Amino acid sequence: MSHSSEKPEISPAAKRFIIALCVICFGLTVLEFIIHRHAYFTLEGRPMFFAAYGFIAFIIVVIGGIGLRKLVMRAPDYYEAGDDHE
Amino acid sequence: MNSLLPTLLQIPGLLMVFGALLVPILPHAIRQIWMLAVIAVSAWLCWGIAPGLHMTTQLAGLDLILVRADAITRPFALVFHIAAALNVIYAMHENIRTTATAGLAYAGAAIAALFAGDFVTLFIYWELTAFTSVFLILISRSERSFAAAMRYLLMQVSSGVILLAGAVILWHSGQGLSVQALDASTLAGGLILLAFGIKAAFPFLNGWLQDAYPEASVTGTVMLSAFTTKLAIYMLALCFAGTEILIWIGAVMTLFPVFFAVIENDLRRVLAFSLNNQLGFMVVGVGIGSELAINGTVSHAFAHIIYKALLFMSMGAVLHRTGTAKASELGGLWKRMPLTMVFCIIGAVSISSFPLFSGFVTKSLTIGSVAKDGYFVVWMILIFASAGVLEHSGIKIPYFAFFGHDRKFEVKEAPVNMLIAMGIAAGLCIAIGVAPQLLYGLLPYAVDYNVWEAGHVLGEMQLLLFAILAFVFLMVRGLYPPEIDSTVLNTDWFLRRLLPRLTMAIARPILAVWFAALGQAKKIVLDGLYVGERASQQTGLVSGVASTGAAAGIFLAVFALLLLILFSI
Repeated sequence: MSHSSEKPEISPAAKRFIIALCVICFGLTVLEFIIHRHAYFTLEGRPMFFAAYGFIAFIIVVIGGIGLRKLVMRAPDYYEAGDDHE
Repeated sequence: MNSLLPTLLQIPGLLMVFGALLVPILPHAIRQIWMLAVIAVSAWLCWGIAPGLHMTTQLAGLDLILVRADAITRPFALVFHIAAALNVIYAMHENIRTTATAGLAYAGAAIAALFAGDFVTLFIYWELTAFTSVFLILISRSERSFAAAMRYLLMQVSSGVILLAGAVILWHSGQGLSVQALDASTLAGGLILLAFGIKAAFPFLNGWLQDAYPEASVTGTVMLSAFTTKLAIYMLALCFAGTEILIWIGAVMTLFPVFFAVIENDLRRVLAFSLNNQLGFMVVGVGIGSELAINGTVSHAFAHIIYKALLFMSMGAVLHRTGTAKASELGGLWKRMPLTMVFCIIGAVSISSFPLFSGFVTKSLTIGSVAKDGYFVVWMILIFASAGVLEHSGIKIPYFAFFGHDRKFEVKEAPVNMLIAMGIAAGLCIAIGVAPQLLYGLLPYAVDYNVWEAGHVLGEMQLLLFAILAFVFLMVRGLYPPEIDSTVLNTDWFLRRLLPRLTMAIARPILAVWFAALGQAKKIVLDGLYVGERASQQTGLVSGVASTGAAAGIFLAVFALLLLILFSI
């Protein structure tokens, strides 16, 4: 992981991993139409609910974390250095 | 005395506490054998204790229940012993008597607490866990760890004092002292819930966990991760099963740590946030209180102790070899520490609830119970939090330590004993995941839930794999936040920064008035002495000049006398 938010270079191994992941995700999407899911809630029974929710939840967690950083991130020596580093 | 020691040794866990007393004087190799033997014998003794009352006594007119077991006691006792044994193996490479002694006594105290049948007995072990475990933080021998240890002790002891206050009120109200189902809306119940809540790291009471655990030694953090919080969960399950407020408290607990874990740079602190999140699932289960939910809580606590220890062990091994656990300084260790990497990934997929790993077969019970009871919002929160778990424990921990940017560390693989401990923990994660009936057989109720239902497995796989896809998307687009060396403010800020400031703001004017009054009083006394001295020189009653110290002494003596008189009225 780089220390900036620039687009990182993707290694061949990472490319293979991404392709494999996409294939698996495609397979899970196909299975959605084959396997019946017992749902307790209406939303749970919607096609691809878990896939969409997992994807969106992950994005929200990360973006929420970025927002939280603005609120709670301080210098590494915040508590040791006293008031000057707030 | 002759009969007291054998009696005490019949109390589960106390064998380990007393056994710890010998640890400092034993040579290194014999010490390891001794500790493992004591844990094995203690486990064997505990295994034989069936649910029910086993040992009672009277003390100062109080009926105390020294040994009592419930349907959920056995699985907790078993996993506490497993954790204690893993800790011993993991720490075998180091020759630190303090850690070994404190670790064994701490585990013993926690096990003894499981069997405490009344709140006074529980209070004793509750505080004993605090006093023994604080040494695991102090052993880091830095100013930072000392301060964290004191804050940790303050919170733990406060929890004990609140527990005792609740117990006294309970006893006074005629309900007795026995550990029993309590009503959280009563004063006694509320205080006891608060005491448990501190140790279970409820929202706003959680700061001590993320503050103290990462400040402990490499081995100390692993020991700490197992006992205190799960003891609190156990007690919540005994006393507050079905208390609805816990569903919402637990839901919040699952949610907020995932955001903090994203931005935390210290990977052991990330795991401390993750621990908090996992406790939330257990608290939700207690709040639901159904048979399925309690099974979920107990089984989740069991599996969690093992995979969380595994994750802490892997990060401890990284810290041991590289000298850092900061994500911003780590990366590329898979080449140097491949076995540690494999064990870490097993812990990561276990906590993320991948099918065939322990987290899946245990967390599913809790989430299933929430769905069965129709708590839609809570269910949505738990599913959301599951994606959060994947983010910080499933991806962030292994990725930043072992992959990511290669920092070119020239380090060796973890010591053999660490690898053995991690290997055993990893094996248990897989064994529970593949053959959950091994764990289900220990649960208080028959498990009426099919975790292998195809639709359920598919849903879980979709949730996790598409969340990983989101990670890849963010990475490829350069949107994933960089790791930054920083302090992330947590609720311990109230104790570390706000409280001292408030105290000073209130104390400053009071102290100013106090010192002004003291100055005036001193002046009056000195003037009086000066007049007295002048008079004595004339009358010969007092000779010499009184010093300022003596004057202050006279003033304090008069003040003390005044207080004594006031006190005696």
